[in-house]
Amino acid sequence: MKDAVALKIALPKIPDIELVAIEGLDRLARHMGIADEKIGEAKILVAEAVVNALEHAGEKNPTVRVEFLMTTKELVIFVRDYGKGFEPASVEKPDIRNKIGAKNKRGWGLQLMQSMSDDFHIESGSHGTKITIKKLLS
Amino acid sequence: MEQPFTLTSEMRDNCLVITTSGYVNNVGGEAIAAEFGRHFEGGTKHVVVNLAQSKVVNSIGMSFLIEIIEQLQEVDGKLVFTNLDPAVEKMLAIMGLFKFAGKESTVEDAVKSFSGQK
Repeated sequence: MKDAVALKIALPKIPDIELVAIEGLDRLARHMGIADEKIGEAKILVAEAVVNALEHAGEKNPTVRVEFLMTTKELVIFVRDYGKGFEPASVEKPDIRNKIGAKNKRGWGLQLMQSMSDDFHIESGSHGTKITIKKLLS
Repeated sequence: MEQPFTLTSEMRDNCLVITTSGYVNNVGGEAIAAEFGRHFEGGTKHVVVNLAQSKVVNSIGMSFLIEIIEQLQEVDGKLVFTNLDPAVEKMLAIMGLFKFAGKESTVEDAVKSFSGQK
């Protein structure tokens, strides 16, 4: 069995920068011999987590730090921003029936991260937000 | 690397078929909505969105698709997704999009579904 591999990236707030993280994840998966179909959901999780973090990163320190820890069995994704944080419990769960006809059709990120991951943890405070996502790969 | 977003469109049997390539983010979603808008003004009510070449999408991009679904509902029209990557299909299912939009394996199947041949 191959040893675990890790990747740490600091992403500046520029358009489509989440693709750099997704490309990094793809490279790790290829190295570990993980099939494309196993990693597809993880790529969407990374896109949601990074876009969400960049949106909440604020202007003072808009960098988002991403870390992957991958074995052949699982992937752990850490995403950290340095924004003003938020209260996760206060985020309304989106419902398509309410979104149709509503002005704001966004707000799906947390719901998707929770539903598509095998474990999801969020810590948020006045110094930023840390998201930890686990995805089983086998 | 996931390619930058591009799209093509064509009319097939009175259906607008939009085929995307690359990452569907806010820019991609907006481009799909703009392409749809041009045809919607002309009376198009049947729309197929072929995501065969878009393996990564984000929910902001997909929120523009909700806008299209909403506009089609107002004229008794429908949107059908095709060629979905399993991960993208799961994402759309979690968002509940298939309550208001269809899905088919291929563009041909989607076009047939509108004409009642399927």
